Amino acid sequence: MSQSGSSQTEARVGGSALYGIYVLSLAVSLVGNLLTRIGAESGVLPAWGQAVVGAAATIPLMVAAVMFWRLLRRDLDEMLQRIVLEGLAFAVIVYVPLTALYVNLRTAGVWMPRLDPPDILMAPALLVAIGIAIARRRYQ
Amino acid sequence: MKNILAALRAELGWSQTDLADQLGVSRQTINALERGKYDPSLPLAFKIAKLFDRSIEAIFDANA
Repeated sequence: MSQSGSSQTEARVGGSALYGIYVLSLAVSLVGNLLTRIGAESGVLPAWGQAVVGAAATIPLMVAAVMFWRLLRRDLDEMLQRIVLEGLAFAVIVYVPLTALYVNLRTAGVWMPRLDPPDILMAPALLVAIGIAIARRRYQ
Repeated sequence: MKNILAALRAELGWSQTDLADQLGVSRQTINALERGKYDPSLPLAFKIAKLFDRSIEAIFDANA
């Protein structure tokens, strides 16, 4: 029995594409964030220009959100969907208390490192990757 | 959940990829199913049962 195409390869492409889209759009958004800040600090961009670049920088994330959802629903089988969703759940479950801890300690006057938007955006991406890795191990 | 999926597949001389293609899932899912690491959804269990022409209970052991 031979069939063209490998399910394993397709699944890997699907899973990799999901995360690749997210990381790529995040990178574009971070560049946009950087340009907005450079524009603000150097005075090269007028206020409306900064607003336009800042808003435009979020477009890739919105496009990625739609593509992510479509890939998740159509291209991944039930177990891979579960792994991705467990990864997302892990990220939310860890991110929220960590953020609350950070804010509370900072409010209490404890020294905490300053977090800029890129750090705040990268944290969920990293947590999703860790969550997916943990979930994958469970089913191997 | 323990099952006889690997034995049934071997009887037909199919690889995990062959079975995955038949069921429309990934090879990783077949591997996890055979190792009892992942319990299939009801629709997938029915699909497996139909493919091997057996009942779900004959393939999967809910008590294991």
